[in-house]
Amino acid sequence: MKTLALAAAELGDQPEGRDATLEAARAGDPAAFDLLMRRHERLVLGTAYRLAGNLEDAQDASQEVFLRLYRNLAKLDAGNLAAWLYRVTVNVCHDAQRRRPSTVPVDEAPELAAAGDPQQTAGEAERRALLRRSLRVLSEKERAALVLRDLEGLSTAEVAGVLGSSVATVRSQISKARLKMRDFVERSSRRRL
Amino acid sequence: MSCAIWEERVALFSGGDLGTAEAGAVERHLSQCAACSALAADLRSELGELRQAHREPLAPEHYAAVRARVLAELAVPPRRSVAWPWAWAAALAVAAAGACVVWVIMKPAAIPAPELPRLVAAAPKQSRAQRAPRQGAVISTHVRRRRTERAAPSVNERRRSELAEVVVPPPPAPPAAEDPPVRMVQLATADPNVVIYWLFEEKGEER
Repeated sequence: MKTLALAAAELGDQPEGRDATLEAARAGDPAAFDLLMRRHERLVLGTAYRLAGNLEDAQDASQEVFLRLYRNLAKLDAGNLAAWLYRVTVNVCHDAQRRRPSTVPVDEAPELAAAGDPQQTAGEAERRALLRRSLRVLSEKERAALVLRDLEGLSTAEVAGVLGSSVATVRSQISKARLKMRDFVERSSRRRL
Repeated sequence: MSCAIWEERVALFSGGDLGTAEAGAVERHLSQCAACSALAADLRSELGELRQAHREPLAPEHYAAVRARVLAELAVPPRRSVAWPWAWAAALAVAAAGACVVWVIMKPAAIPAPELPRLVAAAPKQSRAQRAPRQGAVISTHVRRRRTERAAPSVNERRRSELAEVVVPPPPAPPAAEDPPVRMVQLATADPNVVIYWLFEEKGEER
């Protein structure tokens, strides 16, 4: 299981809080900040894409997250950067969804992914699209908990830290999210038969 | 058999979120309950498929677009909005209004006019022979204002009214020897349109 510490290590964040790239970015070096964005762009854009459900909103959210990162460089500790980025990404996506709630019905939502593998059978591609759409039936908090736990691979305690909730609350949100997702997939599959 | 009470634990079990003791209890239940066992299998399968569906990486140009937008935003020097002067003007107006409110609240209450002794114009006690025509005297007295429909008077108007001058004109020409003299007192008020004339007959004790 990937934890935040492991994610930070993969991203080059130094647990002891000293990071030459971060310090150079703090000093105003644009190349260092560009490098910092490259290190964390998969975390930020990937999470935003799963939470927002479409690429355009995910890119808008990612832009806002990196601008907030730039404004808060002086306050941030390299060891906590990944957790901070997850938290800000979740908050920015939630703010955007509250301002502009999705009007696309779940059953008519377009496929979220980029172009599929041509070797995949049509049935497999349809099944994956259905699973991606299943995230849209979840509440804001359930989706965030499921994305962070099951797709980003954080531990339940880390998810609780990112979302500012208790572990018990996160466990409840995760279990409800999994059950709702399973019901949606089952109902949709029956309808197609 | 209803397994609703097990559903939440089965959902956590399928994602590996239970501790050893709880996981053991769920496994024992699954070995006896076909419905929950099928549920656990479905959940495990769907979670695996969901992870697989989201494992497809986004195209590199999507990341590059975000970086370019952020760097372009940071490259723009912070400029003052055209609205700044208006914002300052609005802030000053609010501050001035606040100062006025504070002044109105904190200003000392109006000093009340001192209570003046009530004076009554009266003729001096003297014999008729001693009396000489007066040239006119000015006596301060307390005069009540008439109630009118005007707006409430200012403090200065009120004081003027209370300290109205009473002009005692010279007595009229002496009437017939036997008639008591009639005296008139003119009371001036703050309102120039209101003049009070007080006519009375003098009846001295010596009569």
